[in-house]
Amino acid sequence: MQDLVRLELIRESLIAVVNEMRANVIHSSYAPIIYEGHDFSCALMAADGRQVAQGLADHPIHIFAVPYSTREVVKAFRGDIHAGDLFLHNDPYTGGTHLNDVLLLHPVFHEGALALFAAIRCHWNDVGGMTPGSLSGRVNEIIQEGIRIPPTRIASKGVMNQAFLDLLFNNMRGRTERLGDFNGMIGTGRKAGEHLARLFQRFGGKGLLDGIEELILRAERQLRARIAECPDGDYFAEGYVESDGTNPDPLVIRLKLTVAGDRIIADFTGTSPQTNGPTNCGPALALNAVGTIVKSFLDPRTPINHGSFNPIEVIAPVGSFINARDPAPCGGMAEVKFTIDSVVAAAMGQIVPEMTVGDLKGGANHVHVAGPRAAGGTFIHYEWPAGGTGASNGVDGSNAVRSYNEGDFNSIQSVETVESQFPLRVDRCEIREGSCGDGMYRGGFGLRRAVRVLGDRAMLSVLSEKNVIPPYGVAGGRNGAANRFVVVRDGKIVEPSTMPGKVSGFMLGKNDVVLEETAGGGGYGDPLERAPERVAADVREGYLSRVLAERRYGVVVDANGTIDKAATARGRRAIAASRVHVAVAVANEEIEDGPRRQFRVSAALARRLGVTDRTLIELSTGRAAPVRAWARIGGGDGETVQVGPSSLRLLAAAPGDRVELRVVRSAPEM
Amino acid sequence: MAAMATARYLIGVDVGGTFTDILCLDTVSQEIKSAKVPSLPGSQWKGVLNALGSLGIDGAEVRAFVHGTTIATNALLEQKGAKTALLTTEGFRDTLEIGRTRRLIGGLFDLKFVRPKPLVPRDLRFEVPERTAADGTVLRSIEGYDFDTLARTLAAQGVESVAICFINAYLNGAPERSAGDRLRARLGAVPVCESTSVVNERGEFERFSTAVLNAYLTPVVRTYLKTLAAELEGHGLAAPVNIMGSNGGAMTLAQAADFAAGTFLSGPVGGVGGSVRICAMAGVADCITFDMGGTSTDVALIHALTPRISHANQIESYPLQVPQLDIHTIGAGGGSIAWVQKDGTLEVGPRSAGALPGPACYQRGGTLPTISDANLILGRLPTTRTLAGGLQLSKPRAEEAFRGLARELGASEDIVGLADGVIRIATAKMAGAVREVSVNRGFDPRDFALLGFGGAGPMHVFLVAEELAIPHVIVPRFPGHLSALGQLLADQRHDRVLAWGGRLGTLDPAVFKQRCRAMLDEGAKDLARDGFEPARQAHNFTLDMRYAGQSYTLTIGCDPATATWDDLRAAFGARHKQTFGYADAENDAEIVNIRLVSLGLIDKPTLEFAPEGKGDPLIERRPVWFGDGWTDCPVFDRAKLQIGDVLTGPMILEEAGGTSVVPPGWRITVLASGTLDCRAGAVG
Repeated sequence: MQDLVRLELIRESLIAVVNEMRANVIHSSYAPIIYEGHDFSCALMAADGRQVAQGLADHPIHIFAVPYSTREVVKAFRGDIHAGDLFLHNDPYTGGTHLNDVLLLHPVFHEGALALFAAIRCHWNDVGGMTPGSLSGRVNEIIQEGIRIPPTRIASKGVMNQAFLDLLFNNMRGRTERLGDFNGMIGTGRKAGEHLARLFQRFGGKGLLDGIEELILRAERQLRARIAECPDGDYFAEGYVESDGTNPDPLVIRLKLTVAGDRIIADFTGTSPQTNGPTNCGPALALNAVGTIVKSFLDPRTPINHGSFNPIEVIAPVGSFINARDPAPCGGMAEVKFTIDSVVAAAMGQIVPEMTVGDLKGGANHVHVAGPRAAGGTFIHYEWPAGGTGASNGVDGSNAVRSYNEGDFNSIQSVETVESQFPLRVDRCEIREGSCGDGMYRGGFGLRRAVRVLGDRAMLSVLSEKNVIPPYGVAGGRNGAANRFVVVRDGKIVEPSTMPGKVSGFMLGKNDVVLEETAGGGGYGDPLERAPERVAADVREGYLSRVLAERRYGVVVDANGTIDKAATARGRRAIAASRVHVAVAVANEEIEDGPRRQFRVSAALARRLGVTDRTLIELSTGRAAPVRAWARIGGGDGETVQVGPSSLRLLAAAPGDRVELRVVRSAPEM
Repeated sequence: MAAMATARYLIGVDVGGTFTDILCLDTVSQEIKSAKVPSLPGSQWKGVLNALGSLGIDGAEVRAFVHGTTIATNALLEQKGAKTALLTTEGFRDTLEIGRTRRLIGGLFDLKFVRPKPLVPRDLRFEVPERTAADGTVLRSIEGYDFDTLARTLAAQGVESVAICFINAYLNGAPERSAGDRLRARLGAVPVCESTSVVNERGEFERFSTAVLNAYLTPVVRTYLKTLAAELEGHGLAAPVNIMGSNGGAMTLAQAADFAAGTFLSGPVGGVGGSVRICAMAGVADCITFDMGGTSTDVALIHALTPRISHANQIESYPLQVPQLDIHTIGAGGGSIAWVQKDGTLEVGPRSAGALPGPACYQRGGTLPTISDANLILGRLPTTRTLAGGLQLSKPRAEEAFRGLARELGASEDIVGLADGVIRIATAKMAGAVREVSVNRGFDPRDFALLGFGGAGPMHVFLVAEELAIPHVIVPRFPGHLSALGQLLADQRHDRVLAWGGRLGTLDPAVFKQRCRAMLDEGAKDLARDGFEPARQAHNFTLDMRYAGQSYTLTIGCDPATATWDDLRAAFGARHKQTFGYADAENDAEIVNIRLVSLGLIDKPTLEFAPEGKGDPLIERRPVWFGDGWTDCPVFDRAKLQIGDVLTGPMILEEAGGTSVVPPGWRITVLASGTLDCRAGAVG
């Protein structure tokens, strides 16, 4: 009995340490991205690098990568770690995220033995490299993204390695701010060490460490029990990073997720090789993504620690873009990580149908507007606008909000702050009407933000995903609108790049307007089964026009908001009749165009659907996520679609099964 | 002044979720009368009248009547505010909904997270073709806008309240006011609230949210106050009625009627104000208040006898940008229920048994194990005598509830160990709340005294202090009534803020002085209207400052009449160094906001309580569980302790409305005010 109480006290106490660390970072940091943007995370690690505790506000993308980094440090310095040592790390190839996220590890000793690490990972505004801020869509190798810090001892028994630090900070912009953030991290580690010493005194060394082991064991047991409830088998899913910013071809992520008893094995064999653009990530992020999504589907409430990762095994081929090596740049690691999230969620949706959920906006949506100030100097306005979230059974998605797999930071600044600090005016910031993925439960709506340039010139850079391949719907639900970043000049739309969502240094003039439109969340279930009252409510509040309500849901609402039941029944029958259902035929070989999956569609079928060669289409069984491919016209008849063998596995269907074939519309509201 | 001689009573009324607590201080005899009556949901004022009636005093003898109300909080929690419309700048209809895209309440790993809806549905958010630029100039004017049609639409929709929120209005409030005047002229009794009349600061989401909260709650609060005032007057109460504000000051009825968003902490602020006085009399400058009731615990930090104020707040998922005492609340109180989590570990709260069905030991139908049941099992509450208020507690019921919990845990039936565990877990949570207001704000809790009050505060305050290694505990006399007592001490208060500033090097001191003068004049006018002559007014300026380019601000005290820019630079630099560890000599400081607090000073009662008689204070001895075993523990009647008495724990001190559980080693001194000053002995 006392053991259970003790366990709960230990858990509360450890979380208190992490919360105290967070407060300390916020109070002592110099950079707004940390004290205002909260782009940092804190955690406690076991002596072997396993994760012990994190706070509720910490960002999974940071934290779940820390165990990997810590293990690398432990490996590099095994038997040679002493009180007063400190370690620094940001190398993506050994567990880092991108170079800007710098990890400090503060080893904590009890009675002479290494017991724990306090870990602080902060986004530094600049870590050197070819552009201010270090992140650029134009890089070709990691050297251009800044300084790479392998597991490095920066203090030995209390003595700082000043030569190393001088070298480090002489290679970063904004030295004062960098040093300030660094000192804040050092102080935070020291405070955590003091706090932990009090816990050792209170619970006893063995008491505390045994308690930690017990908590990890319980978290593992809990997740294993939930996995064991899932049906054994192999589940397949795939998704694309649209472009690396240089090459026009997408990069594909292929997943075979196996449930075997109380274990999950995520095998990414078949994923595209690493690329010379910034959309790569190191070895820590695939497990990070699988861990985040598996936890969300199976056990969202239990406080997280390493036990939640133990039942998961990840196979990510070395040299693929999800497990890249030198010299692949990794600045766009978030775009990659969130695409893995989407793919894993598509597989988990097959395993746990009651949790299957519409897709999200994808990567971070980095938008930079920079230019000269009238009074001299330059300004940089940076935001990463959120989109709508996905729908699931019983729940509509939410509008323009951080999603379940992200820490809860601001993604846009106050309009009044932007206007008071930069030569910009925000003309509007509103819900992007009609952008939801339709369904019995619909996805959330994205947002539209129009930022006007008031000075003579400025420059636009964008790094965003899902501008071409929009967030998928599930269980027969439709896709949400794709992200879209364009410029409005003299009332006309100007595409700032040949590759949507990848803009590098596009020149803006006075009164040009940057139009940011973020993705809507994917829908859940057949839109024709959505309660007409819910559609009418969306019409009444103006989220959906009457025209779209009729076109997409078959629901006819008059000018007073009253539902015309007879017309609605007719409208729904007409939509149902216009849908294209076909039988699946299997080719002997894969049908592909480089990384792109293809479906062979007869000319007759193509005319009926209004598709041409290379139009993005999808097949839906009405369960989980659809399978996407590009149309290849010719072959087959009007009643079948021909697919490669692996497509059949993705569909979880048998030859001859009837499925819905439809066009993926990236802007359903238009 | 014969009339004044008879107006001897000060009355504080604190309406809680379960009980309405009234306290009457006789300023002549220093006697306290108190009563607890059931709160009446839906008609809070009836509970107030019943409570007043139960005191049996003459309304004409009441000098002041101060009221802490939960009317605004309840209306918000139950989503029972007015049907509210929003009028806003074209392009910004959805500001309330989008915010800065944060979830604001949980949601990590929760793929079924649903963002709470804004208080104004989208079809009641109207856009106006108007715009003010970032320098305050009007780019598009509302002059030509058709307010007649708008007013007809609002009336046809049955709108009961309107908020007007324009972009950049903090730089130029005239367009909002102009729209407001036009609507008021057309809408009659429907309240119209301009955002800048509630909070004149930069940041549209927070300002709009605050104005909409205010508009949403104004009709509810107005109706309540009007009824209450009429009823009290009908019962012969001649004294003015004041409402506690979230900033710790008192508001007139008229003030509260326009500022519903300023009353969310109307209840708990009284306890903080009372604590300041208790501390001052005990010679303690720094304390953390620990106010534990039946369902929740409120903690706040008092530094140099001044409660911390927070300007950026949130209620539920709604940002609230009005000055509030920095009170942190957690869902752990005497009625909190102990339960088993999915992974088989033990958890306490936030679910509470409340007053009905109540803890199992209350014998009112509750069967779930609560903190109160645990205290009973551990001998900390009496089983052979009734509680003050006549409640007889049942130990068998408490034990039964804990046996159920033990079975669920699959543990042995050592219910004493389990009860002790439940208390320890609750203590850890409450310690977490204390850390939140201290450590997380940059203070070390060990430098503060912990002041325990509220119905369950004195029973747990020592455990929380031990958990945090705080060596100093204070327990006031009448701990269950401190919130109501504190209300009697509140000065009348008006807060103003002006978004004005820039880099000091570019600002004209003459303009600064002129702006401050104008604010001061308005503050003085407000207080004169409340009946305070200049001699009983105090006006305190502070500035929100930062280094140019930063976005976090620090609050710097300032006397505009004498301040120079160099003084301000020095004061800000020193404060920055103290807070963040460095001062930046190369960067100029800038002013962001000017704030003014205008106080109407009232005569304050002394709150000194003499012993109620002599004689042996020992009531009984009984076994009480401390640490890891039973101790034969004396139980004293606190009212019979004499000034200057020194006692050493373990002991239990019983009094009306509170039981202090003092663990072994604590040394207690009874101060002249009746307050207990308690010091930890050897590390226990």
